[in-house]
Amino acid sequence: MNNSNKKKFAGIRADIIVVALLVLVGAAIALGVFLFSGKGKTAEVRIDGKICARYSLSQDRSIRLSGAGGGTNLLVIKNGEAYIAEADCPDGLCIRTGSISRVGQSVICLPHRIVVEITGDAGDGNDIDVFVK
Amino acid sequence: MQGGKAVRNKLWIIALVIVVLCTCSCTHGQGADGSDDTVQREVFAMDTVMIIRATGKTAQTAVDQAVAEINRLDALLSAGSGQSEIGMINLNGEGELSEDALFLVRRSLEFYKSTEGAYDITVYPLMKLWGFAGGNAAVPEEGRIREVLSQCGSDKLRLDGNRLILGKSQSIDLGGIAKGYTSDRIMKIFEDNGVTSGMVSLGGNVACYRTKPDGSLWRCGITDPEKPDDSTSLLGIVSVRDKSVITSGGYERFFTDESGKKYHHIMDMKTGYPADSGLLSVTIISEDGTLADGLSTALFVMGEEKAVDFWRGSGYSFDFVMLTADGRLLVSEGIADSFESSTAQSLNSRFRIVR
Repeated sequence: MNNSNKKKFAGIRADIIVVALLVLVGAAIALGVFLFSGKGKTAEVRIDGKICARYSLSQDRSIRLSGAGGGTNLLVIKNGEAYIAEADCPDGLCIRTGSISRVGQSVICLPHRIVVEITGDAGDGNDIDVFVK
Repeated sequence: MQGGKAVRNKLWIIALVIVVLCTCSCTHGQGADGSDDTVQREVFAMDTVMIIRATGKTAQTAVDQAVAEINRLDALLSAGSGQSEIGMINLNGEGELSEDALFLVRRSLEFYKSTEGAYDITVYPLMKLWGFAGGNAAVPEEGRIREVLSQCGSDKLRLDGNRLILGKSQSIDLGGIAKGYTSDRIMKIFEDNGVTSGMVSLGGNVACYRTKPDGSLWRCGITDPEKPDDSTSLLGIVSVRDKSVITSGGYERFFTDESGKKYHHIMDMKTGYPADSGLLSVTIISEDGTLADGLSTALFVMGEEKAVDFWRGSGYSFDFVMLTADGRLLVSEGIADSFESSTAQSLNSRFRIVR
């Protein structure tokens, strides 16, 4: 009787450890996802209003975007900034906009209907809903 | 034995619930931008990017109707297109106006009078001369400016019923109020569809319908004219509901000559040159988007003193935020409590509430 009681408690203790571990792992995942989604700024590419891709600003790369009407723009992500390096649009305004890196900033190429916008957690507590310009 | 098993089972269930909750909170946190029945679309029209957002059971229908309305008005009002109603009138010197265009021409004539010519739709030939309506932007010859200017003026327009007759060599551009009017139309569409919350940005011309889905006011960040591309540097933030917030500034469209001098697209019809009134940016806040659009341009042209007089005496219902070239920020009293600016209010002397 005594012996079996001991076994039972040993079993429950093991369960408690497993449960505690699970909770810890769960919390770690939650924290990890929270931190990652907060910090990881991305360049969201929208063409004609549709989200086409998201690129992390933490990884340097060049992407050739094909916009509406067959035009192309070269999107470069370098040192945590995004900019249009080349474009065959008539006005070249997207190139002149220069580098963007802050949440809410965007580069727009009207002729090709391309919008590249920095998304992620602004973190400055300003939480603006819309920009008036 | 029975009791031990029950405790074990309970523990496992609690553990599972906790893990599931953690995971849920993660995924939810990522997509927590507005409620589930919020619909947003981005469209290209009127030479700019537009965002339409609505919340409610009918949000999708409302947004679809809004996009259709934008395209309809764009096709109707474009000054440069040979196919649009306004384009045809510019080509032929006269023509019949449909309901929307007639409304806009009437309001334009009203604004022309009330602003003493600071708002004038006959600016189009001057815009073309300066290259702001397609073509290469460059400073025109003085003589050409005077010649074109002599033919401008809304006082030379004749409206006979719904028939508009332009003066000699005249052409009109409703672009100064077309976006404001379009946002008014979309607010009506939101209302008709029973949308619970909505917002549009027509290339930075903003209109808010009711409050945000969570009941708080819409926070509209006004662009800093000295750093227009930096969304973290703002002139200030106005928090509103059921209002249009529209800004005019010389930073929107401009070109630079060889000596580095900037020429922007807001014309002063008294000189034929870009307005140089000592204001860098004028934001108008009003329930009437058409009014806000027209007055943002007009007050920018008027300059500080005339603009403040106009606000006091015009009889129109609106508020303003104006930045002067010497760095002063003027805010009309009706919006002062809903306005915040980290930079301006710390420099107390440079921030003034106009009463």
